[in-house]
Amino acid sequence: MIPSKNHIGQSHRRKNALRHLAGRGRFVTDLALPRMVHAAFVRSPMAKGNIVELDVSEAAVASGVVRVFTAETLNHSCVPWTGTLDHFAGMQSGAQNMLASSEVLWVGHPVVMILAHSRAEAEDACELVMLDIEDEDAVVDGDAALVKGTPLAAEGINSNMCFQTLLETPDLDDAFARAAHVVEGKFTFGRHTAVTLEPRAIVADFDPSTGQLDVHHGTQTPYQFQDVYARHFGLSEGRVRVIAPDIGGSFGMKLHVYHEEMAAVAASLMLGRPVRFVADRLESFVSDIHARDHRVTARMALDAEGGILAMDVDDMTQIGAFSSYPRTSVAEGNQVIRLMGAPYQMPDYRGRLSVVFQNKVQTSQYRAVGHPIACAVTEALVDRAAELLDLDPFEIRRRNLLADDAYPHVSATGYQFEKLSHQASLDKLHQMMGYEALRAEQTALRKQGIYRGIGIAPFVEITNPGASFYGVGGARISAQDGAVIRLTPAGDVHCAISVTEQGQGTETIIAQIVADQLGVTPDQVKVTTGDTDNTPSGGATWACRGAGIGGETALRAGRKLQMQILTLAGEILQADQQHLALASGAVVDKTTGQERITLAEIGRIATYRPDTLPKGSDNSLTAAQHFAPTGYPFDFTNGIQASHVEVDIETGVTRLLKHWVVEDCGRIINPLLVDEQIRGGVVQGLGPAVFEECLYDDMGQMTNASLADYLVPMAGEMPDIEIAHIETPTLDTILGAKGVGEAGTAAAGAAAMNAVNDALRPLGARISQTPMTPLRILTALGHV
Amino acid sequence: MELLGSQNLAATPDQVWAALFDRDVLEQAIPGCESLEQTSDTSFVAVVKLKIGPVSARFKGEIELSDIDPGKSCTLSGKGSGGIAGFAKGAARVTLTPEGDYTVLDYTADVAVGGKLAALGNRLIKSTAKKLTGEFFANFTKALTGEEETPVT
Amino acid sequence: MKTDITLTVNGDAVREAVEPRTSLADLLRDNLQLTGTHLGCEMGACGACLVMLDGAPVHACLVLAVQASGHKVETIEGLNESGLIKDLQERFHDRNALQCGFCTNGMLMSAQALLSENPMPSRPEIREALSGNYCRCTGYESIVDAISATAKMRSGQTGEVS
Repeated sequence: MIPSKNHIGQSHRRKNALRHLAGRGRFVTDLALPRMVHAAFVRSPMAKGNIVELDVSEAAVASGVVRVFTAETLNHSCVPWTGTLDHFAGMQSGAQNMLASSEVLWVGHPVVMILAHSRAEAEDACELVMLDIEDEDAVVDGDAALVKGTPLAAEGINSNMCFQTLLETPDLDDAFARAAHVVEGKFTFGRHTAVTLEPRAIVADFDPSTGQLDVHHGTQTPYQFQDVYARHFGLSEGRVRVIAPDIGGSFGMKLHVYHEEMAAVAASLMLGRPVRFVADRLESFVSDIHARDHRVTARMALDAEGGILAMDVDDMTQIGAFSSYPRTSVAEGNQVIRLMGAPYQMPDYRGRLSVVFQNKVQTSQYRAVGHPIACAVTEALVDRAAELLDLDPFEIRRRNLLADDAYPHVSATGYQFEKLSHQASLDKLHQMMGYEALRAEQTALRKQGIYRGIGIAPFVEITNPGASFYGVGGARISAQDGAVIRLTPAGDVHCAISVTEQGQGTETIIAQIVADQLGVTPDQVKVTTGDTDNTPSGGATWACRGAGIGGETALRAGRKLQMQILTLAGEILQADQQHLALASGAVVDKTTGQERITLAEIGRIATYRPDTLPKGSDNSLTAAQHFAPTGYPFDFTNGIQASHVEVDIETGVTRLLKHWVVEDCGRIINPLLVDEQIRGGVVQGLGPAVFEECLYDDMGQMTNASLADYLVPMAGEMPDIEIAHIETPTLDTILGAKGVGEAGTAAAGAAAMNAVNDALRPLGARISQTPMTPLRILTALGHV
Repeated sequence: MELLGSQNLAATPDQVWAALFDRDVLEQAIPGCESLEQTSDTSFVAVVKLKIGPVSARFKGEIELSDIDPGKSCTLSGKGSGGIAGFAKGAARVTLTPEGDYTVLDYTADVAVGGKLAALGNRLIKSTAKKLTGEFFANFTKALTGEEETPVT
Repeated sequence: MKTDITLTVNGDAVREAVEPRTSLADLLRDNLQLTGTHLGCEMGACGACLVMLDGAPVHACLVLAVQASGHKVETIEGLNESGLIKDLQERFHDRNALQCGFCTNGMLMSAQALLSENPMPSRPEIREALSGNYCRCTGYESIVDAISATAKMRSGQTGEVS
């Protein structure tokens, strides 16, 4: 018998984790190249103003300084970038370049770049720059930005409205007219930011003798940056190599174009030597993209039995002075209005989106783009409806969630669902969390003045996006991935693939998938990622595509190589390849499982003794395969989360007691890694629900821009997270895997907000703003 | 950010008043003052080197005196740009009241900061601003009377 | 103006001339190429730069190199090679208690310090002991599990990861 090829579905540990555990990670931050210079930036301290004096003469001659660049001396080398895409009809944004030339548009806007032999010397020299800015009234608030007569947040735009869109079904008004009940709410979702533990980092290394630019870049999307650097600096793509080694967290933050990275490349091109920029934590807060920042007004129409008829939603989101490049800053809002009510049988819908400019750091895509907002608004309204109709939160959802046999389904917002498992997930959650016992405990504790709450939130997650996501809008962002797999002369396997690793386990699951196609163990498969010279071009890591698209690419490449090996083996063995298979590192008889020839022997013959092969044999043991989704535009996943909290009504402090997730990401390749993706995602959703917020004053100054003041979730504040799965593989691919990386983040905050409001309900209080800080809870309680 | 304070100065209101407009006294009084140039009867340009928490910078600032009621009160407004560190701007209403041999100087200042100074949070800025104000009046008193000052608050 | 310092790093005698403002973290990373010590905030908040100074964890970003003169420093590279934390590293590996790996150095330092003081910590005690270690990837639970499993194994129990 042939041993089963069952590495897919097993909890293999990550080989690359061993390096980190030994202190041998290879981060861009660790890289030191010969003759490398260090960059520091002088940034605008004002949210908006005109530069009236800029004197860098003292800085230029300071100790250790190699070069000082201003807009005048640097910007000409780069074609400006504009963060608009064609499929977002009518959107606008000003063009951006590396350093501010006359106008500064947010606190942190880089104005001067100083290169020195050490970062410390570069920073010392920054203090010698005399920068005088005449400040202007900044556009700080999004609602105010739209009032007539308000100044524009930037040049090159005709109003502070970046993008507006409206989705509407024909019967929306009718649905509200015949509704038995309408619930409504106004919600505010704070701005927060990624706070990757390794800050943004780049070492740009241009060699003028060959015209080769190597960029060591802490990014999740190396091919995108290869294209960006080639186009914006007028280089041929073949001369640009982007290497993304170990990356200390990314989460969507490290796939946007930033002024500082572009400036580092520009400076290296001019100096002909390596230029290093590593953001310090203070400048991360005012230059990394921020996320969310929404004000949502929403109402939901229901029939007498609590059936959801329609939602009517208005989202205003505030994005900074520019739309980010190359993915824009409108995808977040666009997904907010399209994911509203997604888990439910909701026939009618109206969603309005206003994306507004202001003088703050740019916001853009961050883990679970738009999902947490749509989920929190939808689920808060469902809970309000349940309260109004005196229904249990599980019951109202049971009545409304899409039935598990009702697929394919098209949502009111136009999303096509292949097959989801909401009802099964709901049942599983109910059982897993011991719902009835928790409710009994809640009632008992309330009598003792202890206020606990339970909140649940079903969700839909967008994964495996096709080219309709960015490509159709003109963005040079790949929706396909590529893999090259080869059998080495010694019979080992090497896979070079375009999806990248940031610790989620990409390399491990690719090894598992390839191993199963070639009858080897994952340990025998070496996976290379993150180097545009050594891997085929592809989308890399974004929008939960590594397992679904990258995995399918690896699977198909593996099968291609399997065919090549079997063909060659058939020729060597003079056997019908139909009767051969790969197992245990060898070609075996398909029926008996008996070994016929080892992979090592095939490698040896093909490499060193091709002369012994029959005439006309192809000795190639390398297979290349690219894959792009061609079925549904996205593979949607689903799940449901629950949060258990205790609110101290004296202090307003929320304690997160426990969290549960039931998730359906289709075929699970590695349960260990899937669960840890979910846990990490949940905590990234809970952080902004209770702690994280970029606070700004009314002059546009960020007032908590350090890790001492910006609160991130720490171990002591986070709950244990219990996870269960339903597996509904997509039939669009052989592998059947969907994405999972953003599932945790999508609904954690919604569940927590519902839980807090459940705790506050007997006190007649309600909170509709995140983060749910003690002060906001006390305000909701009327205590302050 | 609001700063309030009161100082007892061992001088007459007229002496204090004159000192407030005296370039040499101000140069000695302003903490970290590297240069002070009088640009008119009521305006000065200063370069000041300061260290606030982890942020150190040279501020170039303008100081202007307005709403002048000679010998009694005036408003000092200033704007200082400190490059990488950020900026500070504000206005202080200063009133002088004779009390025995002393003059009581009361001030109410409204100060706004930006850039790194703001990012580091108001706690640090407020305590530093208080400390700098304290130093200013200590130096001012010394320059004015040759004695140490006697703070009231 | 540089100051001469001498210290022991991972058992090796080190002599360096450093500026007074050079942090221990910069000395380790830049002068000695011990890049396993990471910098995440440079203000003692994130824990990525923890090293052992005379056997106790300190933030290498807050200690000046000159302050470490005459003392004994151990970094993740030294601890790794000593074999002292092999079991802890294995439990982290089993439990996937790291993703990007940037916080891992600090987590191991805090865990080792905790277990040397409190051989059988409860889960809340472990979470408390990690209160100065920021991790953006894992959500912490797997790290708590790994430390808990190590404690159980060190004290002769099964250490099964629940």
